[in-house]
Amino acid sequence: MYLLILRRLMQEMMTSNIETIPGFTITKSWGVVSGSTVRAKHIGKDILAGLKNIIGGELKAYTELLMEARTEALGRMMMDASQRGANAVVNVRFATSSVAGGAAELFAYGTGVTIVEG
Amino acid sequence: MAVIALFTVFPSLAFIYSMLFARFHQSKALNELLARETVVMKQLGGDNLHTLSKPISERKINKSGLLMSNITVAPSWWQLFLGSIRSIFGGNIVSFDKVLAFGRSEVMQRLREQAIGEGWDEVLNVRVETSMVLNKVKGGKQNKMGTLEFVAYGTGIR
Repeated sequence: MYLLILRRLMQEMMTSNIETIPGFTITKSWGVVSGSTVRAKHIGKDILAGLKNIIGGELKAYTELLMEARTEALGRMMMDASQRGANAVVNVRFATSSVAGGAAELFAYGTGVTIVEG
Repeated sequence: MAVIALFTVFPSLAFIYSMLFARFHQSKALNELLARETVVMKQLGGDNLHTLSKPISERKINKSGLLMSNITVAPSWWQLFLGSIRSIFGGNIVSFDKVLAFGRSEVMQRLREQAIGEGWDEVLNVRVETSMVLNKVKGGKQNKMGTLEFVAYGTGIR
């Protein structure tokens, strides 16, 4: 149920990296909205990535893992925005950090706003 | 017995393999990246990524959306070894430079290709961020494998 809401929100809610949503006017600001996930390594992928570490270069397993987690964090941010009453998020930024035990925390934040066309 | 042999012999063999062949694998990836970059730049006559928050030419924007791409890179064992020697004396660690430059260029190229694939004309306000992820925090030995993640994100317009 939660996943369904998340998927629907990600399709419908507009987000942008800049301070406006082009083509729309901001009428109200709801403050900073944010979403985060903590993602730990998968043991099997870790062993394969450990082998890839020998020759260096890209670690595809981790790339996909982190992108999935980041999309989830973005979805949670949109959920936070919609719960406050916003219908769009502007000035979205990301932050990533390591937490203890070999896990990564992915954080997305922005300003939740109400937009109208024009 | 066999397990002990595996755990002592394998890392040494892997280290020698990384010393001899890691450069070949990484330069192969780099050449592929350069080829893709040349193709896209020629096709666009420039670059569709901008760090400005407004388009340069006055244009009407019909639709916008958030785009993001990422990559996780790590240096090879040989490069880490060279880096640790260099750390004793200080200065520029050239062996890491190559890996990081590859990672950053690759992530920007992925953002370009994603923008073209989804039909965006330009990508505005592109930001690139680096972070150390998935490192083992045990007894103070941080990021032994030197894994780094690059994220590039921006607003696509059309």
